[in-house]
Amino acid sequence: MKELLIIRSVSFQQLDKNLVAIRERFPEHRISLLTHEHGLLLARKYKDIAQIYVYPYKESFSYRGKVKELQDKEFATVIIPVTNLSGAGFVNVYLFSLSLKAKKRFVCNVVSEFREVSSTSILLMGVRNQLFSLFSILFTLVAGFFTLLILPLKLLQIQNKERK
Amino acid sequence: MSTPLVSIVTICWNRKTDICESLRRIREIDYPNLEVIVVDNASEDGTPETIAAEYPEVRLIKLFKNIGIEAYNIGFKNARGEYIVILDDDSFPHKDAVRRMVDKFIRDPKLGMVAFDVRNFYNYDEVKNEADDEPGQAAQETAAVAEEYLLAFNGAGAGVRRELLEQVGFYPEEFFLYWNEQDTAFRILNAGYKIKFFFDVVSYHKYSPQNRASWRAPYYYTRNAFWLIWKNYPLDMALKLTLKLIFSCFYYAMEQRTFIYLKAMGAAFFQINRLKGKRRPVSRYIAKHLRIPFAVSFTFYR
Repeated sequence: MKELLIIRSVSFQQLDKNLVAIRERFPEHRISLLTHEHGLLLARKYKDIAQIYVYPYKESFSYRGKVKELQDKEFATVIIPVTNLSGAGFVNVYLFSLSLKAKKRFVCNVVSEFREVSSTSILLMGVRNQLFSLFSILFTLVAGFFTLLILPLKLLQIQNKERK
Repeated sequence: MSTPLVSIVTICWNRKTDICESLRRIREIDYPNLEVIVVDNASEDGTPETIAAEYPEVRLIKLFKNIGIEAYNIGFKNARGEYIVILDDDSFPHKDAVRRMVDKFIRDPKLGMVAFDVRNFYNYDEVKNEADDEPGQAAQETAAVAEEYLLAFNGAGAGVRRELLEQVGFYPEEFFLYWNEQDTAFRILNAGYKIKFFFDVVSYHKYSPQNRASWRAPYYYTRNAFWLIWKNYPLDMALKLTLKLIFSCFYYAMEQRTFIYLKAMGAAFFQINRLKGKRRPVSRYIAKHLRIPFAVSFTFYR
């Protein structure tokens, strides 16, 4: 049986919906799920999830956040659920998926449509990401200068003055 | 088992079919001491008239304009129950959820909030294990926790001690929509109470993120993310997180080719006086450990 891994990058409410479509689209697969620690018990409620792995970090999925348990595993398919139609805003999860050994990667969107993404296209997204990041750093440096001048004072002004 | 009064509080705005279905399901809840409060945000589709006619047991409060999440606060003020269950207009608890929630509150006096496991109304029963609803589940340790961080709750299903909510303050009315649960969570945790998810306390939600696919979700999520930071984090952390969020606004504006995040960022700064007297930094422990996925703000636009 082929191995399939779902990266839980969306709420359980959406996964409830996506899981039905994943099961239909990939019937010959043994399904595993990668979730943050708090999702472990909640994920155990699924009858079709054979194995659950824990992403051992508080932060969102990131290429730097390696999961030791998965380093030696090979998956025929990795699914990346996204909460919108296009997958915008999930580049961090795409990049994280590159840290896993997978033959194919699919995005599953909010209406359970599947779109295959190659590792090359993810790498290109990563390059574009770096470019956007560079510009964003420059803009943040300018905006941040004024923010650091003004914001501390504003925060003092909005502080609640009542003594507890 | 004692059965203290529980107040179910929900709000609605032009979603007659959904709220009526929720009220019908609420009638099926297996708990003998409930009051149901619906605050109508000036619906124009006949919602209040239908509720008044078909659900006479409901305490209906009709508003003259849509005031967003502030409507919850009116419901909270009118609640008489020892515990309050917070719902969306398109969500309702599993028939055993309220009983199990009360049991958990009674067992643990420092439990401030029971976060329901909010599931998809349309698909959950199809994908879950049948055993999850069997009697006896409530007796086990059913909290979904993490060792390294704390969690907030989902407004489509959560129970809270009424006195605690009155003590720490209701929903932040200046937010209008989104991140209000996290703001409330900061205050509950900072008051020394726990928030826990329980997998046997389930709420069903007609999950439809398509409803968020307008300017409203990215705008309010982004603006309120700044306000959440400014209201709750110690100064140094607030400055650092603000810079990160500014970076994200620029980054996602380019990625998604939209000005909505920059507009929301501008609104956060220009309307900062709406937070006057509302900044109460929480302890460093809470600020550091409460998991706030700020990136969610940038995932609804396209």
